[in-house]
Amino acid sequence: MNDFKHYHPFIIFMNLWTLVKNSFTIFIFFIVSFALSSPLYSYGRIAFLLFFTLAVIKIILDWFVDKYEIVNESFQIRHGLFIKNERIVPFTKVQNVQRQTSFIHRLFGLTSLTLETGIAGSDGAVVFEVIAVKEADRIEELVKKGESEIETSPEIRVEEYPEVESKMDRIIHFTPTKKDVLKASFTSFSFLLLIPIVGSIFSKIEKFEWVENKAKGIFSRIFESSFTIVIIIILFIIVSIIIGIARTYIKYGKYEIASDDERIYITKGVLHESAFTITKNNVQAIEIRQSAIKRLLGLAEIKVISAGGVGEGVLEANSLYPFLPINRAYEMIHEILPSYEVIQTMERLPRKSFWVRMLKPSWFWIISTLALLYFKPPIWDIEQAWWIISVVLLLIIIVSRLLNYFNTRYTLNEEFIQFKTGSFETTVFISKRTKIIEISVTRSKIQQLLGLASILTVNHAKPFHYSSVDDVPLEMARNFYAWYVGRIDQIKTE
Amino acid sequence: MYSQIHAPEGRLSKDSVKVWIISKAISYAIWIAIFSVLLYLDYRFFWYEWIGWVLIGITSLIALSGIWSILIEPFLLYKNWRYDATEEFLQLKSGAFNEEHQLVPMTKIQSVATNQGPILRKYGLYSLTIETMGSTHRIPSLPKEVAIELRNLIAHYAKIKEVDE
Repeated sequence: MNDFKHYHPFIIFMNLWTLVKNSFTIFIFFIVSFALSSPLYSYGRIAFLLFFTLAVIKIILDWFVDKYEIVNESFQIRHGLFIKNERIVPFTKVQNVQRQTSFIHRLFGLTSLTLETGIAGSDGAVVFEVIAVKEADRIEELVKKGESEIETSPEIRVEEYPEVESKMDRIIHFTPTKKDVLKASFTSFSFLLLIPIVGSIFSKIEKFEWVENKAKGIFSRIFESSFTIVIIIILFIIVSIIIGIARTYIKYGKYEIASDDERIYITKGVLHESAFTITKNNVQAIEIRQSAIKRLLGLAEIKVISAGGVGEGVLEANSLYPFLPINRAYEMIHEILPSYEVIQTMERLPRKSFWVRMLKPSWFWIISTLALLYFKPPIWDIEQAWWIISVVLLLIIIVSRLLNYFNTRYTLNEEFIQFKTGSFETTVFISKRTKIIEISVTRSKIQQLLGLASILTVNHAKPFHYSSVDDVPLEMARNFYAWYVGRIDQIKTE
Repeated sequence: MYSQIHAPEGRLSKDSVKVWIISKAISYAIWIAIFSVLLYLDYRFFWYEWIGWVLIGITSLIALSGIWSILIEPFLLYKNWRYDATEEFLQLKSGAFNEEHQLVPMTKIQSVATNQGPILRKYGLYSLTIETMGSTHRIPSLPKEVAIELRNLIAHYAKIKEVDE
């Protein structure tokens, strides 16, 4: 049983690199501190050197100690220098597979592999920070095989996936065209980022008193002619647009959404490549998100809420492409998850919920107005600023409530629930009742008087996904309740 | 098509009102004691004036909320609490002003436990904690036999797992 393998030795280099990167500022300070002759700094230097050496030793020792083995369709992971830790993760618990290839990885033909289980916390995933691409492929294949053997057990075969095929019949659903990338770069407005930077540079140049007279002369000549200023500004705008598009391209340019019978595959990134796999069976719900700008441009983001969600740092991973043309988005949901369908006609909120929403006191506004009234802070030397801010705030709140009222829709359709909420950014939530793990209906006193209710659904994500609609008619809430009770006719129990 | 489900009818033990009153009275008595000591120290050692005002403010707030939670809330809570456990669902309903109605499938329940503090013990009551993947639910006070029976019932029904996970 001594088949334990070390991780790829390159991991030592990788960890050293992150160590150097993270302690870079301290390192700079370390060098600078030689110029300062306080004893405190020399202690600091010793402490830093000590820490650094220990960290390096730990990284190297870790490589010798940390091992993994693949036996009986499970990972056995050994870890820990002083406190030995041994963990066994069966293949069947793996929900999602994630692969991230940073630029450095790519230079050496390596990659990183994360196998997510449904459990939250640091032990929730099997992580190979550095792994040869071949080994990663092998592991992924093994995991897939291990899973499908279980999935072809007779109970499930009846349901939706009649046969399990390899990746030969992967269908590519979406790759962005040049036009898509261009549109995306406009929605993210990343090119506008440079404007404040440029502005501050301009204002600083004028303040440089140490600039030699000659140079000053050049600057003043430049600034005197308004023509050159206009040209400079236009140049800057062009440059910033190009940078914005380049940034968007690097992030979203090479993108591929594909799927086969069982899984969804997302590959993205030009320099830093990452790939995700989501098992369709684990999809708990779908969200279609649209910010105000995206709505203007007819774009949308599809989010897949799955049980083995992906680590917190990489939240975006749950998102299929964030800048999908809206019609394509609706079609794609149906293509990828044939059992899901977006219903276009949903019901609106009744008139009475409009009044409930508009007349509800906004505690945020009341408290901030009281604070403003008390402090009356003058802004830009304007004494009346406090009430102007208060009025603007009130207007924003009213507009967002109005939008929220008009945006809110809901519908129940056999086994699906679908609702749309949000004011400036809207979200359409779709889920099946078999995938909802809990519901609740709440009614405040006012809602009780007016015959309204709020409904809430809970889905198993990582850890949980809550979705709710306020002020739906009582009848809808009752239907919702009965609809959820109806799940017992659908679920299969062991 | 839809399987019918009845509104929950199970009620808490009548003694739970007493339990709430006692436990609330104790915790508020402790708070009042702490603040009386502070007020006395303030009076004795001439702290800054604003501290005195803040202390008086907080003490009166505590007194007011104490009146609410000792004299009014227990009765409302008791009056509005309902629960029900069937083979498929656990239903919980509570709240007078903010009525909340929860529906938890039995198959999603992970664990169930009975708990008993000193005050509950005095009246022979148990509270029931039901944990699902998503949240923790609590039935505050049930007579011993009912609590244990319900615990075993839920544990039995919760053993059944859905295939589709």
